[in-house]
Parts: sequence; structure tokens; C-alpha cells
Amino acid sequence: MVTPQQIEDWIKAGLPCDHIRVEGDGHHFEAVIVSAEFRGRMRVAQHQLVYKALGDRMQAEIHALSMQTLTPEEWQAAAKA
Amino acid sequence: MDIQAQIREQVGSHPVVLYMKGTPQFPQCGFSASAAQILKACGVQEFFSVNVLENPEIREGVKQYSNWPTIPQLYIKGQFVGGSDIMRELYQSGELQKLLAESKAA
Repeated sequence: MVTPQQIEDWIKAGLPCDHIRVEGDGHHFEAVIVSAEFRGRMRVAQHQLVYKALGDRMQAEIHALSMQTLTPEEWQAAAKA
Repeated sequence: MDIQAQIREQVGSHPVVLYMKGTPQFPQCGFSASAAQILKACGVQEFFSVNVLENPEIREGVKQYSNWPTIPQLYIKGQFVGGSDIMRELYQSGELQKLLAESKAA
């Protein structure tokens, strides 16, 4: 069974992250991902970067992943709010 | 018609298209249920939905079409908008309502 830690490691291996947190029960996962790579990209393109990092695992091993993507600036603003 | 052409024709000929697991009345996945609910909450009474569980070729084809590995997928005026996370975000910020109003669906 896939663990949140594995998903975190896979994403980090393919995408430089300022911050990442993945939670889940082995079937459904929730991720918060902060990356400078997200700057200037629409949400769809941000999520596509994460999917790209996960590659074929998204088809096979990961059943359901819900994610929130943030730029470092959005992350800071959210921390202050 | 090949699958990619079939998808292009579906998203091109309806203002709002939702590829989902199950139907809006009987969704068979939590994410698809949430996507259909968000559209209803935006005041969209009728939208074109495709049950990918009944069509495995579309299920795989639409993932390639948008370079997006998951279902549900929302298209407005032929443009890929996103999956259920993005739909919820756009709904909360009011952007989805705006997109739907422009498409004349809501």
C-alpha cells in the first residue's frame, strides 16, 4: 500500500518543493505543495507539474489525490492570514 | 471517428461538458459527485456529462486529450478547466460562476 511519505518523496524527486505535506489512509490522499515552479502558471498547469512528477504512478498506484498548490508568496500570505 | 476526434467534437459542441464516473444523479466516485454538485450550485441546470465507466476508451482518451491523469474533468466552451480540486477553488473565488455565465450555461 502506498504511504503519504512515498507520495511526498515521489513529488519531491520530480519537482523542487519549498514545502510539502501529504496526508492519507493509503487510498485517499491530500497534499499541500509549495513550489517556486508554480509562479506564473495557472492552477491547471501547476497540478500538471505535480502529476508529471508522479508519472505513471498516478494511473496505477494512486487512487485518489486531492491537492492544493501554492507559490512561495501565496504560502506566506496564507500563513499570515 | 477516433477517440480524440470524438472528444474534441463533444467538448466543442456543448458549452459545459463533465467527464465523470457515474451520472450527475448517480455519481460513483466522491470527486465526481462533488464536481456535479458544484455545477448545480453555480446554477447550471443542464450540462453534457459523459460516464467514463461506460466507455473505457473515452476514459483513457480524455486523460490524453487534456494531459490530465484523473477523472472528473470539466470543459467550458471547449477549454479544459480542471478537476474537482480546481473546480472547488474556482467556485469559492467566484471565477467558475463567471466562466459559466460567459458560456451562457448558468
